[in-house]
Amino acid sequence: MTAAAVDPVTFATQFSRLLRERGIAATPATSIEAVRVLAAVDATDRMDVYLALRTLFVTRRKDLELFDELFEAWWGRRDASHDGTVPSRRGAATNPPVISPTDEPKTATGSTALTRWASSLADVEGEETIPLAAPSVREGAATKDFRLYGGDDLDALAGAIARIVRRLRARRSRRWRSAGHRGRLDPRRIVRLALATGGDPIRLVRRQRKVRRTKLVVACDVSGSMDLYSRFLLQVLYALQHAFARIETFAFSTRLVRITESLSRDTYREALDALAAVPDGGWSGGTKIGESLEALRLGWPRLFDRRTAVIVLSDGWDTGDPEVLSSALREIRRKAGRVIWLNPLLGSPTYRPLTRGMEAALPHVDVFAPAHDLASLERLASYLSF
Amino acid sequence: MKEEIARVQQAMAEQGYVTDRATATSAYLALTLHKPLLIEGPPGVGKTEVAKVLARVLATDLIRLQCYEGLDVATALYEWNYAKQLLHIKLGEGSGQSVGEREAQIFSEAFLLERPLLRAIRATQTTVLLIDEVDRSDEEFEAFLLEVLSEHQVTIPEIGTIRATNEPCTVLTSNRTRELSEALRRRCLYLWIDYPSLSKEIEIVRAKVPVIDQQLAADVAAFVQAVRRQRLVKTPGVAETIDWARALVVIGANTLDDDVVSETLGCVLKDEADVRQIRREVSDRGASAMVAAGRTAG
Repeated sequence: MTAAAVDPVTFATQFSRLLRERGIAATPATSIEAVRVLAAVDATDRMDVYLALRTLFVTRRKDLELFDELFEAWWGRRDASHDGTVPSRRGAATNPPVISPTDEPKTATGSTALTRWASSLADVEGEETIPLAAPSVREGAATKDFRLYGGDDLDALAGAIARIVRRLRARRSRRWRSAGHRGRLDPRRIVRLALATGGDPIRLVRRQRKVRRTKLVVACDVSGSMDLYSRFLLQVLYALQHAFARIETFAFSTRLVRITESLSRDTYREALDALAAVPDGGWSGGTKIGESLEALRLGWPRLFDRRTAVIVLSDGWDTGDPEVLSSALREIRRKAGRVIWLNPLLGSPTYRPLTRGMEAALPHVDVFAPAHDLASLERLASYLSF
Repeated sequence: MKEEIARVQQAMAEQGYVTDRATATSAYLALTLHKPLLIEGPPGVGKTEVAKVLARVLATDLIRLQCYEGLDVATALYEWNYAKQLLHIKLGEGSGQSVGEREAQIFSEAFLLERPLLRAIRATQTTVLLIDEVDRSDEEFEAFLLEVLSEHQVTIPEIGTIRATNEPCTVLTSNRTRELSEALRRRCLYLWIDYPSLSKEIEIVRAKVPVIDQQLAADVAAFVQAVRRQRLVKTPGVAETIDWARALVVIGANTLDDDVVSETLGCVLKDEADVRQIRREVSDRGASAMVAAGRTAG
């Protein structure tokens, strides 16, 4: 009578306090229900208690592992399990992150930046072992810096990004608006109007969903200094490309290339192959953000209108003339609905946007936001509705 | 183990659903505590099946609400019977009633068309309400669901609040295409169903396809286990394993050789890139090697 020796109320409150301390949301209401749960099962049977409390307290998959750990500790018995179905903790290694952030921009050498990005990813898919920062059990996935992601996390990451991006997509809003000749009949209003005409639906009214439609233009910095975030950024670009109907994607370091078509391939792997094959035409080290944006503005002038959101993904390390960057961005902003600058470095508490490029750009940017973890990506939604 | 939980597990097994203790415990608690049960897991592991089996176990109706983006209250909860309303106004012409009176008449319960949620709330016996793929509906609908799930009541502006006389046993499923809100999660019991172990999958195949050769069932399950370890666009679920086993029985295959596998691979894999990848694997290593690999615990 291990559990029955304890009063169920004490049992439930103490256990839920323990869970709360470790970050599993256990409200007072849940504690009360824990008492009911314990009454409903055989409180002396470890497996019964374990499964029942797990069903009650855990609300998402990622908490399962932590719950197992806490329950085991709390139950205070090391004897593994009665019938072997208690899931063992899956390799909860806690190696510290091996990839360290760099502050200095590296110079891109050899192959084009795009090729490098695309192929460094292909390596990860293969056998090569890369230093993997194992997520600690409690570390919220949402606030884990993207440069800490290892190869094994990529699948989970791809899923999470695709999920967030799908939500960003301009979709029909829930609101109805009355419509002239298009749209569906609005029976509720027709019936109300028919009351006045003795049941004859003389006036027909129609309605349709309001549409929020945003066009996207994305320009991503693929220079050496952004390498740490390349895996994540490529995933984001790919996900965006597939979620939005009207989107144009560009990559730049010293030159600008349009990669919309390469990204539009059916699978991520095919997209990577296509990106690696994008003709380079003389890339070299350094980053010319200003000239690249100027090329974007002049080369595709009709891309920008009031319904367009322009997203620049860059750390702001510019080896070109800040004046060019400033004027290019000013012109883009004049025509576009919104200019959003996402800077992965902004997630670091010590970062100040003091690079010359960043200083030149800031006055012409509507939103300057970090893009280094899933949480910051989630916030993108609020920037895109304008 | 509490006897009732064992009985739930037993009853589910009798309805052809091979289950483990975790699922049985969750189902039992959902029934006892009258709380909705949220089931998550990869596609094809039998999440929806839990609700169907529960309905059969309880010998009651299954009311199903399939969620999709844009699902609105008119489809989920109720709609007015417009044709009947118009007819009623027409017939009541000249009765001398005021517009207000007539309006009150046509917006009453007699003119209401029940949709799944309202049907579950107004049912005269306890039903099983399945809210399938709730992650596909949008956030606004999820917020609306909260009232139904926690209070077992719905509000219709023209009529008022309708309370459930017999609280339905509610099962929600999600494929996690988007994160559900914390508020919704808190109101639900939670169950994560993963891909089954090899032995459980063999058991499932034998239960679902009783005519299958014992060895073939084991091989099919092992092969699928091996396939799941590959990096695929769409990992096959238990549903695919069962489909495949059925297909093999239909074409009269007795063993899982390379030819049979590559001819019927479409039952297991639903993506062209995956089919190509596994087909290459089979021609390189041979189907029997794949089966052997799947048999070793991974």
